[in-house]
Order: sequence, then C-alpha cells, then structure tokens
Amino acid sequence: MSDKFDVCVIGSGPGGYVAAIRSAQLGKKTCIVERDALGGVCLNVGCIPSKAMITAGHFYHRMQHDGPTMGFEIPADIKVDMAKLQSWKQSVCQKMSGGVAQLLKGNTVTIIMGEATFKDAKTLTVKTNNGTQTIQASNFVIATGSRPIDIPGFVVDEKLVLTSTGALELSEKIKRLVIIGGGYIGLEIGSYMAKFGTQVTVVEAAPALLNGVADPDCVQVVARRLKKNGIEVLLNTKAKGFKKSKDGLDVSVEVGGKETVLSTDRILMTVGRRPNSDQMGLKSIGLEIDAKGFVKTNAQRKTNVPGIFAIGDITCQPMLAHKASHEGVLVAEVIAGHNRVYDAKSVPAVIFVDPEIASAGLMESECKARGFNDLKIGKFPFAANGRAVSMMETEGFVKIIADARTHVVLGVHICGPEASNLISEAALAIEMGARLEDVALTIHPHPTLGETMMEAAEAALGHAIHIIQRPLTTARPGTAPARPNT
Amino acid sequence: MATQNVKLPDVGEGVTEGELVRWLVKPGDTVKADQPVVELMTDKATVEVPTPYPGIVKELKFKEGDVIPIETVILILETAGESAKATPASASPPPPQTKPAPPAGATTIATAPTPSGNGMDVYPPVANANVLATPATRRLARESGVDLNQIAGSGLAGRVTRDDVIGAKGPGSTSNSPAAKAPMLQVPKPGFVSSPGAAEERVALRGVRKKIAENMQMAKHVIPHFTLVEEACVDELVKVRTQAKAAAEKYGVKITYLPFVIKALIATAREFTMFNASMDDQAGEVVYKKYFNVAFAADTPNGLMVPVIKNADFKTILQISKEIQQLAGKAREGKLALDDMKGATITVTNIGSVGGLYATPIINHPEVAILGMYKIYDKPVWTGQEFKRAQYMNFSITCDHRLIDGAVAANFMKAFVARIENPSQLMLDMI
Repeated sequence: MSDKFDVCVIGSGPGGYVAAIRSAQLGKKTCIVERDALGGVCLNVGCIPSKAMITAGHFYHRMQHDGPTMGFEIPADIKVDMAKLQSWKQSVCQKMSGGVAQLLKGNTVTIIMGEATFKDAKTLTVKTNNGTQTIQASNFVIATGSRPIDIPGFVVDEKLVLTSTGALELSEKIKRLVIIGGGYIGLEIGSYMAKFGTQVTVVEAAPALLNGVADPDCVQVVARRLKKNGIEVLLNTKAKGFKKSKDGLDVSVEVGGKETVLSTDRILMTVGRRPNSDQMGLKSIGLEIDAKGFVKTNAQRKTNVPGIFAIGDITCQPMLAHKASHEGVLVAEVIAGHNRVYDAKSVPAVIFVDPEIASAGLMESECKARGFNDLKIGKFPFAANGRAVSMMETEGFVKIIADARTHVVLGVHICGPEASNLISEAALAIEMGARLEDVALTIHPHPTLGETMMEAAEAALGHAIHIIQRPLTTARPGTAPARPNT
Repeated sequence: MATQNVKLPDVGEGVTEGELVRWLVKPGDTVKADQPVVELMTDKATVEVPTPYPGIVKELKFKEGDVIPIETVILILETAGESAKATPASASPPPPQTKPAPPAGATTIATAPTPSGNGMDVYPPVANANVLATPATRRLARESGVDLNQIAGSGLAGRVTRDDVIGAKGPGSTSNSPAAKAPMLQVPKPGFVSSPGAAEERVALRGVRKKIAENMQMAKHVIPHFTLVEEACVDELVKVRTQAKAAAEKYGVKITYLPFVIKALIATAREFTMFNASMDDQAGEVVYKKYFNVAFAADTPNGLMVPVIKNADFKTILQISKEIQQLAGKAREGKLALDDMKGATITVTNIGSVGGLYATPIINHPEVAILGMYKIYDKPVWTGQEFKRAQYMNFSITCDHRLIDGAVAANFMKAFVARIENPSQLMLDMI
C-alpha cells in the first residue's frame, strides 16, 4: 500500500503535531507518523507528567509546612497513595494526548502509528501493526526529537537505573535516590521526590548546578532551597559506576581524585539529551548531521536534502517544546510558499524547581560577550511584593538587564513563585524591543506577582517604589538617558 | 523526462531583485533556449528574461506583482533530460536535477545532496540580533523583501518601525544614490471609490508606470519646485545646426538641437555650480559635482525613460548626437540597460519635439534642476523701423528652491540664453 501526501511529518511531539496541523490548515494533504504515543516525550513522559508530579509535590509540601502557620491542623504524617497519584498523573497525560489526536483528526491529518525509516529522500516506509506501509510525500518534516544520554558504567534498565521516563512512573515511595547530573530535569524530579520524602543526592561533575543555563543569582536561591528541603548536592563530582549491595546500590563517585561510595535504592540518569539523528536512516539519504548529532538546517529549517525539513530537538539547542512548536508553524508556512525564517530573539526557558526559575533573553555574561558593556540591571525581591507575601512564597526576585545606552531590555531572569507564568511578559518585551520605560510605565494590576516586573524595571532606572534605592539619581524619574541611540 | 529549474539571472550591476510584470509563457507551453519567458521590472528598466534551457513549462513559481530576488527559481521546465541540446553551451553545469523516485529496492545515492549553502540562503537575510523590530514588523519586512539589517530605524533607540519598512520598499531603496538615504517618506494613499455600475476599468499599476509614479511622487514630495521661463532667438543656432547637419551626414549621424542645448547647459552650469549638484538630506550637505552626466527624457511606448549621456562635458557635439541616437533607439525598443539610466547630474526634457508652449517639468531626484526646451516658432520682431521675421525657442528651468533662489535662476537663464543666441560664444566654452 502506498500513499502520496504533500507533507509528511515524522514525530508527533510539540514540534511535529503543530507542523501537521498548520500544514493541514494551509490546505496541504498531510500525514503524521508516530511510533509511540501522540504528543511525544512532552505530553507523555516529559513536560506534562513532570508538571503534574511537581504540582502534587508542591501541594503536599505546602500543606505540611505552610498549612499550620495559616491555622490548618495538619497531621504530621499526611498519607500519600503513590499508585493513585500515578493514575491521576496518567489521566492528565491521556487527556492531553487525546486532545492532540482530536485536533489532528479535526484538521483531517492522517495519523499513521508505526516506526518510520527513509527508503529514499522521497519515500518513507512505516512498520505498523498491520504490516509495512509506504508513504510518498513532496515534503518531509523530521520532528523525531531527542532521548536521554547514557554514560559509561550506568546501563539504563528503568528498574534500578532510571531515566526521567522511569522516574516519573514510580508508583511507590523510594527511600534513597542518587541523581547523576544537576541539570534542570534532574533537579525538577529530585525536588518533588524529596518533598514526598525521598532522600535525594545530586551528583554534578561541573562546579555549579544548572551550569551555564540559568542566571547564577537564581541558581543560588534554588541551591539554598534544595539544601533546606534536604537534598544533598555534590559538585565537581564524577559518577564512576555502581554495584548492587545487600540493601540496594552502591554508587562510586570521584571527588578531587578521591573515590567515595553513595548508598541508594535507585539511580536517576539526567546528564542531558541527544538528538535522535542516528535513527530512521537519516544518514543514508545524505542528510548533513553535525558532530553533536544535530541535523543541519538553515533559517527556514531546510536540510541540505531538497524537500526535507527538520525541527525541534533534532536541529539545535535549546531542546525545548515551545521552540519546536514555533518551528513547526514556520516550516508548514515555508512549505506552503510563505517567506518565513526563524528570527525570534529569545526562547524563554523555565525550570520547575522550587522556587521556579524562568528566563528570557540574555544572561549578564552573554550581554558582555555581545558587546553590551554598559548595562543597567534592576532587581526586585518577591519579599517586597504584597501578593507574594500573602501567598507565603517570598523567596526569589525579578532581575531585568538593559543596555544602559538605549534602555532596551536585553534579558529578564526570574526566580520565585509563578516565574514560569511571569516570564511571557519579558519575552514579549524583548521581541518588541521594549525599553525599561515601556515596562515601568505599563500599569500592572495590584496585588499581583506581575508588579515585580514593573518594579524591577523601575529599579534598573534607579527609582523603584517598594525598595529603598540610594542615592536617588538627580535625573527626573522617567527621563530618558542623556543620549539615547536614536 | 527530467525537470529543470530556471533561475532569475543576475540582470545587471547592483540589482538584487525585480518585480514580475507579466509572464510571457504559461504552463504547457513549449519554449526554446533563449526564448523570453518573463517580463521583469528592475529600477527603471523593464527587461525580458530568457530561459537558458528548452522544454515544456511545468510550473510558474511567482505571480504578477511579486518581487523576486535574483538567483531564485522562477519556473520549472520539463526537459528532454539526456539530450545534449538541453544544456546551454554557455551555462555552468546545470543545477542538480530532481530525478523521479528510483524503482523500489534501489539505493538513493542518485539524489545527491546539494552541498550545504547551495540554495540554503534566504532572502531577505535574517535580521541580526541587534536589530530592533517587533515580530509583526519583521514579518512585514520579510514579506516585502526588505532587509532589516540595511534600514536605519526611525523609532526610539533605532527601532525599525512599520512605516520604515513600508518606506524602504518604495522609491530609492534599490540604489545607492543619496536618495536612498533620504528620510523615509510617509505619503498618504487615498483610495478611489467607484460609483456602482460606472463604466470604468481597473488596471494594476505596475512595471515602468509604477516606478515612474513612485519617482515622481517622491520628487514632488521632497523638492520644493519652481519654474522660470524665457525665450531665445535661435536664428543663428538654426543656421549653425543646418550646416552641421550636412557635415555630420557624412558620418551617418543626425544632428538635432539637443546636443547644442546640452553644451550650452554644461557651459552655464560650470558658472552656476549649484545647478549640477545634489542635496544629501541625511547628512545635511550639498554635493557639488565636478562631472556632467546629462540625462534626456525620452518618450517610449512603455512610458518615460531617462537615459544618460555620461561625461557629456568631454564629448563633442558629434559624439553626443551619436549617443543620443543610440540611447533613444534602445529606449524605444525597451532595451535600455540599467547602467544607461544611472548617475545623471542634470536633465534636459525636450517637449518641443512634440508640442506645447512651455511646461513645468518635475526634477529627476536627486538632481536639483531640469531644463525644458520647446518648439521653434516664427515671431515678428520690431527692430525700431520694421517688423522682421525671427525664429524663437522657449526654455524653462525648473529648480530645487532649497538650493537655488529665483534671482539665481534668472541669471542662470540669462547666461544660458546668451549662449543659445550666440553660438560663437558657445564655441568659446567648448572643450
């Protein structure tokens, strides 16, 4: 059986399914191929299930710690039915995945479940439950994503040595957990597991957590909280291997040339993800792939093979769902003949640790590297925000970085409650080329966490209201810099 | 059968894009190598672009009115494939051909990957990280073919605004002349509401007509014009020209009055340097030019064309006449090269060859003056004792009042008319 399509999307994650829907909207005969579950890693074993677990953990933690202060009489030991929690989490995923199926069908996208391999640049064979299907398409969109990296000495079996997928599916409480890799996935899972009572140890080879991906000031706040919540963090530490012991596992680690042993019940491997470019016969059709395994694409996400596009994790960092979705829309429109390129200024990033970290635009070090030597930086603490105080979540701050010459906002870094929901304003400001004054002079509703963004902009200009800033500048509040670059 | 992509070739120096005026072929047509397939408007010239390959037209990639960057595939031909004739002798190796899918089982090394970089460029290029423009403005620029990296934004902190993009799409954007740097124009675009059922026809404004419209609008918008009119007795000039005409026939050159007028104009503009100048509005400077490239307006079936006689001050009347003849011929046939119309420093419009007493021409921006010459007519002149027949010609000089005052223009005209009336004085100025 052979089918011909205008557009064939391979992979139904947040990149692929968005590309397929937009293609169909633009009148293209479209199909989507998925080997596992619609929605990909994001909806099934990534973003969505982890957020469900994080929400549950946070809820649980707050009942225990903040509840009594607010007058709730909470028993010291709140019972958690982990199996029930799992089935609730699973229902969330199913709801989302089902939603994707409905959207695809509603847009008349043909869904093909099976493992795809390129036979040649114009033909795909898909192994389905009912045999092999051949698909021909004028355009292919590769959106097959990424998978966790292994390191020597740790073979993942998802029983004792887990990836994020296995960790999210644990339906019993684990007493001890060693997490190898102090990146955002490890810290997100470690944080909620610690809240449910697991004794968590994070092993990180670099000298800092979230090395290079988050603002150092934000990381400091989170590191403090991790410690408070009982998570042990070992920096500059290399995991060498493990063996079974009589009451679990012994992980050998090396710190400063000295080996020590950590006892644990499970190991979680979160040392990063690699693009799935070694699958599907991508090399055999002549796709150019770089040393890190990313498929090379241009600004329109065209590969070197005509008619083949690639989007999402498989193309470049950052490996984030929303970047993939943006590219999905982009390629669908390019295929339909519109002139589009990837020209977004920032990909906002969110880390769902406690408190949350979110950022858009450049970090201080990146500003300097880009030649912005003179910066205006404003920082406003959640402790000075009425809503944060009334929520009992006052840790953290909003930090806004602008070019001192033009006041154009270059980056925003938030660590604190709902940072994930606050960052979109910053992303909009950066895309619009907003100046500090634009943010400061926009009325933000009271009492909300959002006021912190306005206050941080005011702070950068030297005159925030709800923190004491001395010395006050002689300039009139709100006046432009002496010589803006106009 | 194979397919062959036909790209828009590099049509001339500095040209990066053109507007599709109309297709000369339609899908299904059989075309020969070098047969014109599309009419394209670049800057001021409309050119016919030929296909380097023979074949059957399979697909037209653009529609009329689209702005197409050079080196873009404009149409796809179905070719005989293996036939040696299919490959043009002059062209470099043809681009890789898309072959039909090989039979099942065959490996696909045949569809050799194009090297990266080939066809991977996008136009306009991606705006670099420091360009300030909202996402909607970035998209507008992309769809208008405007390169944001090339625009000095007029907004706060150098922000490129929607109006900047619309302005950059308009006149002047494709040349490097000072006009390109002129402040962005914001011209209202009033509509015309037809009454229902009125006997009217709507035709898209495009091609040379559109470019003329844009240039005229910009010139009138930027330059405060004024026109001064004078008459000159051309009895002597008529005699000189009649003699010269006979002499030049030996060289096969037809001598008109235009080269004499050009010579008189150059000689006078040497005295009055502000007539051979440009305003650099952005820098706030006047640019005085030490060279004379004289443009002349030519009426053609396609509309007004303004070819340029380069370095006219170093050319003889014979040489200028010959060049006028060649350029006018090319203009009528629509074959003027872009280079033929570039770099003018002052313009002469010869309306007299058609008719009219005098006119108020529009200056060819970024020039600052345009000379009008009108028909020769007989007129009775009172000598004191009697009426005598004399031949007269009207001239007009239209000036940019920012640079040239009325009295200066009057003095300029006086000096110019003196040269026209006394060809012997004109001889003194000749190089």
